[in-house]
Amino acid sequence: MNILSHYKYVFQMQFFRNSGFLVFMALIQILISIGIVIGFTYLIPNPDTKTILFLATGAPTIILIMTGLVILPQQVGTSKSDGYMEFMRTWPVKRSVILGADTILWLFITVPSIVVSAIVAHLMFSPGYDISWTVVPALLMIALTSIGVGYGFSYLLSPTTSLSISQIVVFGALMFSPVNFPMDRLPEWLQTLHEILPIYSMAEVMRASLAASTFDASIGNYINLFIWCVLGYGGAVFILNKN
Amino acid sequence: MILDVQGVTKVFPGPGKSKKIANDNITFTINEGEIFGLLGQNGAGKTTLVNQILGLLTPDRGDIQLLGKSVLQSPTLARSICSVQPQSQVPLGFLTPKQAVSLIGKMRAGKKYDPKRLDMLFEALDMGEWENKEGQKLSGGARRLAAFCMAVIVPGKLVILDEPTNDVDPVRRRYLWQVIRDLTNDGTSVILVTHNVVEAERAVDRVAIINEGKILTQGTPTEVKGSVSNQMRLELSLAKELKEIDIPNWALSTHQNGSRLFISMDPSEVPAAIEWAKVQVDKGQCIDYSLSPSTIEDAYIELTSKKEVVSS
Repeated sequence: MNILSHYKYVFQMQFFRNSGFLVFMALIQILISIGIVIGFTYLIPNPDTKTILFLATGAPTIILIMTGLVILPQQVGTSKSDGYMEFMRTWPVKRSVILGADTILWLFITVPSIVVSAIVAHLMFSPGYDISWTVVPALLMIALTSIGVGYGFSYLLSPTTSLSISQIVVFGALMFSPVNFPMDRLPEWLQTLHEILPIYSMAEVMRASLAASTFDASIGNYINLFIWCVLGYGGAVFILNKN
Repeated sequence: MILDVQGVTKVFPGPGKSKKIANDNITFTINEGEIFGLLGQNGAGKTTLVNQILGLLTPDRGDIQLLGKSVLQSPTLARSICSVQPQSQVPLGFLTPKQAVSLIGKMRAGKKYDPKRLDMLFEALDMGEWENKEGQKLSGGARRLAAFCMAVIVPGKLVILDEPTNDVDPVRRRYLWQVIRDLTNDGTSVILVTHNVVEAERAVDRVAIINEGKILTQGTPTEVKGSVSNQMRLELSLAKELKEIDIPNWALSTHQNGSRLFISMDPSEVPAAIEWAKVQVDKGQCIDYSLSPSTIEDAYIELTSKKEVVSS
């Protein structure tokens, strides 16, 4: 049997198994992304259009980080401890097929929130969106990096350890990462760290495609994402195939 | 021959520098259409062995061949030859048993998948009331049966069932054994992993008793029983504490399980034993008694029990 039909049945399996959860998660994501755009304007008195544009183009990145690096590792932890992971390993399909099917599911639950938050932000603040055609590949690349890295560390580490990392990531991404504000506000050592970590590159690539006339992303940002993406998925496939 | 396990040894690192030998030089074979029982206590190494057959774990020493091909070289092949019901419950989430079983069926057979077999299985196991209920709302027994159907909807050449009757009610257990029997009619072989020895005795063609990673004995149930001894056993339901009963001197060994006391003896002592048992009932020491040839459970307990048994 070919990989495509394996993919179809594995996808259906994972989709129906999680269907209720996926709807619930997609709704939560919508609330969070709108919350970031509106909520942060309360933190900053009299925000100017540039600030709001930073928030509005940062929210999708936060959603993708939350999905790939927080919710996904929690789900992986659960399926490790309830035995589902072990059961999936007995299926007569390639492990990369399972990983591929799950990735599409995770992508599904992020798209509604990104679209809704962009529409809400545009209607409320008109911060100056200028959406380029690169938005689709950029979104895919950021999502795959985030999901890949999430898989990599949650497969590699124990459920408890990866849960702790998730907690740090969610706090770090919201408060200490140049996603919702410019990089130069951070202390120098954090700037250096963010040159290596994928979060800054995700934010830059996202901004450059949502407000193309205001922001630019460097080639370095794209390379950074690509490396993290390969590392994440490579690690996950390695762990899945390890005996 | 379907499966050929030769000298398989698997060692896990324990705390500190210690090692745990999960499988110690295990050798056995399984023929086409055979039900092979793997009996052993908790932690005996049964599941480790199964995971190596599936290619999920690599043996430290030895070789495993499925249909003449080494599992070590092609683990993916092992997963398409074998279908498995894992020991732990399969968390179905929002999947209904019908969805789960038919998707696994399609995953294994593709276009050749026959939905009639699903109806046949659900009918045979009387699962109609659950087939369209969300898995997370089902009882443990219903989920266990769903996992069983997932393993046998499109059986591989080898079906591995790890404690399939756990949580299942006595009526459906009988249906389950029938379905397992029927599987072998089309040449499918079955490995039955269990510690439920009494049930296994009726179902299996051959059996291996495994303890602390080693196979202690293997053969047909009759051979395994014979390897221990040709004894009779007296089973008493105690009404009082064991210490209030004088164990007679014809008892070869005794074993207590809750309020049940098992005494093994030479067949020539049967008249004396019945006499003695009657006296115990009259004295109110025990409620009732039964006498039977030794079972595979006796062999199992005698071979694996660490706390051996008071002997006279």
